[in-house]
Amino acid sequence: MARALLDDVIDVYEARSEPRTEALPPTTARSPARPAGLRTSFWVGWLFVAPALLFYGLFVLRPLLYTFWYSLYRWDGIGPSTWVGLQNYSKVFTDPDLLKTIVHAFELIAFFSAIPVLLGLALASTIRQIATSRLALAARTVVFLPQVIPLVAAGIAWSWMLSSTGVVNQVLSHIGLDGITRAWLGDFSTALPAVGVIGAWVLLGLCTLLLLAGISKIDPALYEAARLDGAGPFREFVHITMPSLRQEIGVCVTVTVIAALASFDIVYISSQGGPGNATMVPGLEIYYQAFSERQVGVASALAVVLMVLVLACVLPIQWLTRDRDR
Amino acid sequence: MLGRVRARWRIGALAAIVLGAFAAAGCGGPGGSASTTAATTSKATASAAPTCGKGPVTMKGYFETGFPITKALTSEFTKQYPNVKWDIREDQFAVITQNAPRVLADDPPDLMRLPQVSELVKDGLLKNLDAYAKAFGWDKWPASQLQQMRLGPGGRPRGEGSLYAMGLNFSMTGVFYNKKLAAKIGMTSPPTTLAELDDAMAKAKRAGILPIQQFNGGATGGLAFPLQDLMASYGSPAPINDWIFQKDGASIDTPTNVKATQHLQQWIKAGYFAKDVNAVEYAKMMSRFIAGQGLFMFNGDWESGNLDKKMPGKAGFFLMPPADADGKQAAMSAPLTFGIAAKAPHADCAAFFLNWVATNPKARDIAVQVGGSHPMGPADAHMPPVKEGSVTASTLEAGSKIGEDNGAMDFIANATGAIYAKSWTPQLQKLVAGQQSPDALLKSVQSDYENQVKS
Amino acid sequence: MIVARREIWTARTLLVLLMAITVLPFVSLFTTALHQSGTYPLGLDWPSEPHWGNFADAFRAAHMGELLKSSLLIVAGVVPASLLIATMAGFAIGHLRMTGSRLLFLVFVIGLTLPFEGVVTPLYYQVRELGLLNTRWAIILPLIGLFMPFSVFWMRAHFVNMPDELSEAARVDGANTWQLFWRIHVPLATPAISSLAILLFLWTWNQFLLAIVLVDDPTKRTMAGALGAFQGQWGTDIPLLCAGSLLILTPTLVVFLIFQRRFVSALLQGSLKG
Repeated sequence: MARALLDDVIDVYEARSEPRTEALPPTTARSPARPAGLRTSFWVGWLFVAPALLFYGLFVLRPLLYTFWYSLYRWDGIGPSTWVGLQNYSKVFTDPDLLKTIVHAFELIAFFSAIPVLLGLALASTIRQIATSRLALAARTVVFLPQVIPLVAAGIAWSWMLSSTGVVNQVLSHIGLDGITRAWLGDFSTALPAVGVIGAWVLLGLCTLLLLAGISKIDPALYEAARLDGAGPFREFVHITMPSLRQEIGVCVTVTVIAALASFDIVYISSQGGPGNATMVPGLEIYYQAFSERQVGVASALAVVLMVLVLACVLPIQWLTRDRDR
Repeated sequence: MLGRVRARWRIGALAAIVLGAFAAAGCGGPGGSASTTAATTSKATASAAPTCGKGPVTMKGYFETGFPITKALTSEFTKQYPNVKWDIREDQFAVITQNAPRVLADDPPDLMRLPQVSELVKDGLLKNLDAYAKAFGWDKWPASQLQQMRLGPGGRPRGEGSLYAMGLNFSMTGVFYNKKLAAKIGMTSPPTTLAELDDAMAKAKRAGILPIQQFNGGATGGLAFPLQDLMASYGSPAPINDWIFQKDGASIDTPTNVKATQHLQQWIKAGYFAKDVNAVEYAKMMSRFIAGQGLFMFNGDWESGNLDKKMPGKAGFFLMPPADADGKQAAMSAPLTFGIAAKAPHADCAAFFLNWVATNPKARDIAVQVGGSHPMGPADAHMPPVKEGSVTASTLEAGSKIGEDNGAMDFIANATGAIYAKSWTPQLQKLVAGQQSPDALLKSVQSDYENQVKS
Repeated sequence: MIVARREIWTARTLLVLLMAITVLPFVSLFTTALHQSGTYPLGLDWPSEPHWGNFADAFRAAHMGELLKSSLLIVAGVVPASLLIATMAGFAIGHLRMTGSRLLFLVFVIGLTLPFEGVVTPLYYQVRELGLLNTRWAIILPLIGLFMPFSVFWMRAHFVNMPDELSEAARVDGANTWQLFWRIHVPLATPAISSLAILLFLWTWNQFLLAIVLVDDPTKRTMAGALGAFQGQWGTDIPLLCAGSLLILTPTLVVFLIFQRRFVSALLQGSLKG
């Protein structure tokens, strides 16, 4: 059963292969410009796509265009609107409170991304040797739990743990670090890191498993050879493990960066952006601006900026870590 | 070759259809025209006062968590009028304030707890209650009861104009104290001057007792309570009320208020508040105070009933002492405001309920015993007997003293819709963290206020 | 494999540590839920008299039965429809590859990194205009749309590997495109479809932003959205909040434990392909 589970995970990679190039069937005369595909009418193909395109267009593309449109006006959602051009955008970049939300989003990347990826790498490469043991299989289920529960639930559980009478302070007191106990989510300097810790907890399991699956694909003979040459675990890691994991690391970083930049659930439930503005993130600020302050234009401008930022972060990562063997 | 050209045309055609659809979707700005936001003026329902009728009615209520009085009243109402059922949704103070504009516009409840109504009135989201006031005779009650809920056209200034909200009762605030801990430091009677209060706090600190148990966490900066009390201690309440009511030219940044804020900062620096006060929410503060952790608590009489139940005989109350020995006393005193949505499905029934709360004897009993504060209504209406020496008795008594001194103020947190969450709370939290100075705090709040009032 | 004994033990300890950290919040929720309502227990603290009744109270206060029903209805609305239309679209783009399909695919891919906050504001006004605010459709319809980029991408990745010869043979036998799709390709795509179903189920069940923006009534939201409402109403009573959170977590946990293998492989595949 152990092997089967591992095989499942390895299958993941086999499936991720390139589309096969088609050989032209000799019996059909085709114009060379015709794309390689089944001989079906143009319209039948589009009919098949139509429902998906309809939903996507109506509930994603249309609102997307409207977001751009709203961002050029000043509107409260109820009454008439006034054209303000790019004023909302300049507000996003000059208003210190709004600008800070973007800064916070990037700071969260350090927690949501760096910790799960780095720690995940360390854990995965250490656990590699016992990857098929029963303990590892049990761990696979347990470590996945944070991905299965709603982020809100994680936020509630951790808010309680990080409070002044919560588990975190209890543990700190037990190991003698009584002096630094505090209400982690209520303190200006520690609130954002505290939110970051929640995110790291949610994403660590996913990254570890993903990287572990990637490592399992590496030919053990390479490790054997390295051992015979006298390499220790560290050199093994740098010269064998890391290079082969480029794709998986890319995925981890992409998923976690998007989670950090677009974070909403966790912050909403744990700190509501406070204390003061210490944990306000763009996702939450958009919600407040649009539905509480009724500044739909500013909210939309911030939303556009957020989307651009996500693309600006994700595209380079994808490019850097794409499969070079293609 | 031809295939490719034909293909390009097909794609072009498809694209044109799609883009055309979008273009047709709208030119011109979003949002309705000005006419759709006309404030609905209630048509005066001639002679007969509105009722809930005889048929089954389900009232939609959106209330604030942690106020048992509202549920107690609605349950009693259903007992007396079995055809009226209540579908109640509850949220915490900050969330209710955030959700108010959206909910009133798109999912209007019949009755909603609304701490601040100026902007809601400006957008025409609340029902004008003047007709009900006339029909039920509310304008015959003491004028000061309804004053804070009157608003001019466009939502400002407050204090005069049409009635847009009603209260379940009107509250009184001041300082609660733990009698047992007071005895420990030798405080046998409430302090009569600010200096005596400072003294008591210093004694408590030396005796290892937490002088003040207050909330300042989450989106609600509870240090606004002691701050406003100090402001009224140092100066007169009238300019503060003018600022809250958005009168032209009003400012919170005055010399006496700066002194008050500095005094608050002294308390913070002396360690009179809990170390984690920025993470203590209202409920936690109550839980701790009831558990005996803290000598003083700046709160209001909506907790009197609760305190009488949970720590009977152990809690006391006194009004904030003035800075000078013979100064007048002032306190925040505001109704527990509720509004009726402009598009409420059962507005008449909601108004009837509000009238019932103020006039029905059983309802008034509940208001005092569960709510701990003075019901609205005519000055000579039925008042239930209150136990001697209970906190409720003290707070009711304080009410009449404030009436004499004309020292009733609204809350500085209610000046505008966003001033509490966006200004007072972050600034007060920064003050606690040592990241803000008293005059900069007031300047910042005043500047936010001016921006919000302007828009 | 040449492995040092010490490395195995380090590995074992790290694994156990990782599991402990993962499970800690759940344990904390559980022990706190057993305390008396309204108190603030000190960290991880087994109460002297466990109040098992808190779970019953939370069940009633949260109207758990209705919440379950609501989430199930929403899942029933989102998942089958999404699977169907995404499979159709993936089939067209990945296998039929008609003219313009590559461009179309690009259009879908644009939506892959889209944060929901980017569209939630206009979605609100759009749903309001449709008169669907505060109904389950307000969550179902936009979610189907929002899931399309990933779902189409996923199904296309499967169909791209299907040999043309298969379909050519079917055509020769006289099958039209729909029969080709429904009779031949869908059965072959079952593993991909079932993995996608698991992912969509999870993402729908845990959907929070749309639920709190578009629906006020907690009994018409998803479980995650209802948890938000539960926290709003009872958040000041920590033991009750913890009990309610655990109850709301339980259905996903149970489903996860039953289908763990499929879940884990689906989620891993999902991240790699997405």
